[in-house]
Amino acid sequence: MKEIAIDVPVEPPKELESLFLPIPKEYVEEVYRNDEFLILVGPQHPGSGHMRLIVRVKGDVIQEVIPDPGYVHRAIEKIAETRLYVQNIPLVERPAIMDSANLNLGYVRAIEDGMDLEVPERAKYLRTILAELCRIGTHLYDAAILSVFLGHTTGFMYPFGIRELICESLVKMTGARFTSSFIIPGGVRRDVSKEILDWIYSATFAIEKRLRSFERLFIKNPTVVARLKDVGVLSKKEAIEFGVVGPFLRASGVEYDVRKVEPYEAYDKVDWDIVVADDGDSYSRFLVRVNEVAQSLKIIRQCIAEIPGGKVISDQICEGNDIRGEFFEKLAGIVLPAGEFTTLTEAARGSVIYTIVSDGESNVPYRLRVVTPGWLYLRGFMESLKGERLADLQAIYGSFGYFPPEADR
Amino acid sequence: MIEVLIDLIRYFLSILKSNQLDIPLIKPIIALIMKIVAQIPIPYLSNLVDFILAVILWRPLFAVVVMPGLTVLMIYLLYIVWFERKLTARIQWRVGPLEVYRPLRGAIQALADGIRYLFQEAIVHKDAHRPYFVQLPILAFIPVLLPIAFIPAGNVVGIKSPYAVQLTIAFISLIPITVIAIGWASNSRFAFIGSVREALMYVAYEIPFIVAAISMIFLYKSGDPYIIVENQWIPGAILNPLAFLVFLIAMLMATSRLPFEIPEADQEIAFGPFVEYSGILFGLVMVLAYEKLYVMALLFTILFLGGWNGIYISLLGDLNAPIWLTIKTIVVISIIAMVRSMYARYRIDQAIRIGFSWLLAFSMVALAIGVVIGYEGGI
Repeated sequence: MKEIAIDVPVEPPKELESLFLPIPKEYVEEVYRNDEFLILVGPQHPGSGHMRLIVRVKGDVIQEVIPDPGYVHRAIEKIAETRLYVQNIPLVERPAIMDSANLNLGYVRAIEDGMDLEVPERAKYLRTILAELCRIGTHLYDAAILSVFLGHTTGFMYPFGIRELICESLVKMTGARFTSSFIIPGGVRRDVSKEILDWIYSATFAIEKRLRSFERLFIKNPTVVARLKDVGVLSKKEAIEFGVVGPFLRASGVEYDVRKVEPYEAYDKVDWDIVVADDGDSYSRFLVRVNEVAQSLKIIRQCIAEIPGGKVISDQICEGNDIRGEFFEKLAGIVLPAGEFTTLTEAARGSVIYTIVSDGESNVPYRLRVVTPGWLYLRGFMESLKGERLADLQAIYGSFGYFPPEADR
Repeated sequence: MIEVLIDLIRYFLSILKSNQLDIPLIKPIIALIMKIVAQIPIPYLSNLVDFILAVILWRPLFAVVVMPGLTVLMIYLLYIVWFERKLTARIQWRVGPLEVYRPLRGAIQALADGIRYLFQEAIVHKDAHRPYFVQLPILAFIPVLLPIAFIPAGNVVGIKSPYAVQLTIAFISLIPITVIAIGWASNSRFAFIGSVREALMYVAYEIPFIVAAISMIFLYKSGDPYIIVENQWIPGAILNPLAFLVFLIAMLMATSRLPFEIPEADQEIAFGPFVEYSGILFGLVMVLAYEKLYVMALLFTILFLGGWNGIYISLLGDLNAPIWLTIKTIVVISIIAMVRSMYARYRIDQAIRIGFSWLLAFSMVALAIGVVIGYEGGI
């Protein structure tokens, strides 16, 4: 197609200089010389999270997107250096509060790794149930955000309605809707009764039933398919190159799941499949997570059916089965041996890496390194935007479920 | 001097009296009012009341100001905003507006919003073209409201014209220009993208929309609403279902309802051309699409749903036609409001592809159907 250009001198707007953008002045001038356009999406924009996307568009087609994250950076790694090991448990689950159990689990496992703690079987099953409940909650949350990005407000309300059941289950189990800090070194805080587990078991069927109406209304909606199909494609090679993780890597055809590769907790004892798609487009990224919800429900049901009896806290920590009343006494003084302890956990949005560096004598970490999935797939997210239309920015954003507080930590 | 004035008033009164609405239901009420007024000892009061009543019941004014004109339009705006929100809420497992007057289930929420807009500061930002920015929301009402003068409801008509359908389409086609101008005057990046999208959508739906309307004009062999409605002993929707479909989808596109809510996509470009507006100016531009929907639904009812045909209640007299027209129009709009909670938003290129591929093709087939049915002198 022949391009028609009119030579009109255009000056870059003044605000591009005054906003402290992470791009040099020459870049802005080059963009405007090339008859292109810089659009700042966010941080105050209905279609962005707490981050700024500097979108370079030619006509309606995105040429390049430069992310400007860090608006919700909370210095979690630094704060962790000044607190006791147990005091960090509520801290590390803050990056993504809807996915708290998974983030919590990774940190606690790093401590257990350092202290060589044996976790009782029943506690492992309870931790798996918690992690999977949070995974479903996060996937539903992301589906809701994706729907509202596509202008489908009913698709926004349904997952949040369904997510109430997850929150209710978490309330019954732990006492909090999320950020329960229920997983502690050596086990879980307290035992969960059979009635509550039965309630959660029946709740999984209620969730499944409601998900079917969501599927009819949103997942198979022709307008949704038209918006997401063949948009923001990441091939298998690209996805590996850009270091994409979690369901978004699996959507590009890579069969990798930490829960299968290095099983932790009860994941090797229950029967479930890795969900993989081949297309690598926005729709398959969404579908992978929809199907993961079904797998998670399956895992929860098996866990509840097969849960063994016994203690929920390790003998090395506490003689009784209830740590309530002596929590501080037992856990405040823990000191990790000198060394570096790393765990890899599959959170809802992908692998989360925790590294604790201990000097062997202080009761606070010498250094805590947290790499959340959002930060890992940000590159892949930016690359998949190239060559798409401006309206697809929100569709791809939603399909990645990018959550700035999680990425910024 | 005073005699001349009284003569003038008498002359006006005779003009008004010659074209009065005939409603048997309110005749006794008027008689009662006149009887009461006659007993009050104030000079010329009964004449004044008589004059006011004559003005209200004068057919052209009644059509434009009361029904199906501005008064019904205002009530419709209050109703449709409430109904749309309430319906969406029901589908989405919510309650919807409720707290603004609970006995009516939050029905005057739109009125409360309107009052809020009225007292809010209308900010005109530094980069805007100030005169155009302030004028255009008001100027935009000219093409939106003028068609109401031409759309008849039985005997109740503002300006009688054999080309009423064509005129209405012409006015509807002018509306996007004002919206594009609004975006241009805002002088902001998102407003600019919104105006371009509005222009592209205009290109996408305008041809199928006009062709569908022309096919109905061919079918009835006239653009005169009276002839069109008279001929519809079978509704136009059954005579030419393709034109019906095309018109319906074009209506969704033209009023940026949800599958095609592209120019105003709030998650993408933050309300598009209207992004910079606030206060009462925002209130004005927000109701623009609803009013456009009302005018288009009136045209839709006349072309496809038999206009003001309905069960004749002799007690209502001349009021029958406007009431039937209004009821049908509001039912059509209420059904269209449901689409909002069912679909996601298409992308601009997909919408244009829909407009230029099968929507255009369907409209051409509809035109052929219209010509064939109309040619045989048929219906």
